[in-house]
Amino acid sequence: MGLTLAEKLLGNHTQSGTAAAGETVIADVDFLMVNEALARIIPVLEKMEVEKVWNANRMLVANDHWSPAPDASTAEMHRRIREFVKEQNIAHFCDVNCGIAHQVMAEKGFVKPGDLIIGSDSHSTTYGAFNAFSTGFASTDSAIVAATGRNWFRVPESIRIDIIGKLSHRVMSKDLILKILTELGPDGANYQSLEFHGPVIDSMSVASRMTMCNMAVEAGAKCAPMKINPAVRKWMRSYAPRAKWSPVEPDDDAEYVDTLTFDLEEEPLEPIVSTPYSPSNGKIVSEVEGTPVDQAFIGSCTNGRFEDLKIAAEIVEGKQADRDTRFIVTPASTEVYLEAMRAGILETLICAGAVITNSTCGACIGGHLGVLGRGEVAISSTNRNFRGRMGHPDSLVYLASPATVAASALEGKITDPRRLSS
Amino acid sequence: MTWYDTITGRAWVFGDDIDTDQIIQGRYLTLLDYSEMAKHTLEIPRPEFADEVEEDDVIVAGKNFGGGSSREEAPQVIKESGVGCVVAESFARIFYRNAINIGLPIMRIEETSSIPDAAEVEVSLESATLTIKDSGDTISGEPLPSVMKDILQAGGAIPWFRKMRNENGFP
Repeated sequence: MGLTLAEKLLGNHTQSGTAAAGETVIADVDFLMVNEALARIIPVLEKMEVEKVWNANRMLVANDHWSPAPDASTAEMHRRIREFVKEQNIAHFCDVNCGIAHQVMAEKGFVKPGDLIIGSDSHSTTYGAFNAFSTGFASTDSAIVAATGRNWFRVPESIRIDIIGKLSHRVMSKDLILKILTELGPDGANYQSLEFHGPVIDSMSVASRMTMCNMAVEAGAKCAPMKINPAVRKWMRSYAPRAKWSPVEPDDDAEYVDTLTFDLEEEPLEPIVSTPYSPSNGKIVSEVEGTPVDQAFIGSCTNGRFEDLKIAAEIVEGKQADRDTRFIVTPASTEVYLEAMRAGILETLICAGAVITNSTCGACIGGHLGVLGRGEVAISSTNRNFRGRMGHPDSLVYLASPATVAASALEGKITDPRRLSS
Repeated sequence: MTWYDTITGRAWVFGDDIDTDQIIQGRYLTLLDYSEMAKHTLEIPRPEFADEVEEDDVIVAGKNFGGGSSREEAPQVIKESGVGCVVAESFARIFYRNAINIGLPIMRIEETSSIPDAAEVEVSLESATLTIKDSGDTISGEPLPSVMKDILQAGGAIPWFRKMRNENGFP
């Protein structure tokens, strides 16, 4: 019987060289990403009596969720983190000036095809876009990885998703993943691996692939590895020119617990908006069009990349955001920020009424730089619209692609981006 | 307490998809003290929870409890509140793992819809059952996998890690 991507990727990191779905294995991790969760990992390491981390060169520490610190307790978290980074000589540290860790991990070339990567954040599934087995752990499990470079894993069963056809104008990979999540439900892939296949994925940009793998966790998926594609090869040549890596392919006769096919030729995909309070409450944009929004937000590890800002700028160029709608844009990283600045994209967005913030997870987790008040409604390119996620428990978040968010910012209400000219 | 001790307490019944933001909202995560944070446990779905929960009470939920964030603060504040056990029809992967790691007993049971809110219940992880004291009805659950029992038995992943390392090198 053939093996899935998850089985092969994980198997390559076990002592026996194998990992079969359902088995529990010990696997060696290639790289560990930790964000502010480090403030909780430090006391765990102390209790474990670990004096030195397993490999100070294979860790990225990033202060990304609340950066720069919006209050004294966050400042204290950051202070402890900086102290730890110095004590342990951690080679890769992003203080408040790099951006959101998932984007930074890719830009620094730390995510390589074939790797096993752990992040102390649930959206660490993002690295699946690069043909890595990557998953999110919390503080205690991350501490075990920091201490030993390994941990135990239940090898997930895999769901295969084939996507045929192509995405039409102003329909983005975000729309596709919201559609898939709606089909799967909030726990449709719980404990499992989502394996995306087909021409749409093979021809997709790295950024668009990252968006899909990022949100796989919203169906409960443990990981979402994709096969490598030309865009990933090009990315690796440019961001990790000296790195050695070998991509992994699933076997043709791999066993999947389920296979879903989305044929976009037969049924063209329309922009999707996920209504409160679940990413899997997706509706075709026409069903919610006209809903007034107080805030339109573009950013986060899901959709704050260059292509996201670019499509937003194309849509709002020469126009003005609605006066009753706050239009907030948070580039996913400093590199994205600079690239967008050099391309004139930020200027276009600012002239259309947008506020550009520094790179942070702030608005997405209701931390800072875009928190919602009582009864307020947002349309957001982020990944979660749980109750109270972006602020007040009585606020409402609609999830959509950056194109839909930008169009909605102009109209002050949820708007189909295909309706706007150019 | 060991994993095979019986837990007896009042049931706090919740529905499906209680996500990590419902358990502890992002805005409280920068509080470094878990006891301070625990005052906001399950504040969105049950604002009275933190004030009224008692030692060994049992959280009873439907499908997909703990979906969303990897934040370990979610099981931590539940444990800090004194909850003896969480039973649900299913758990989100990271939450399940986190609960075991911090030594919060947890069990999947077949269906929870027949359990009344505030009912006195008895949970046995060893026999994988939940009994409603008044009616005597018993609902069966899923026995814990052995690695989970080992971790709970040790008191969580920290003491488990130390034990493993001292005995035979981790892992």
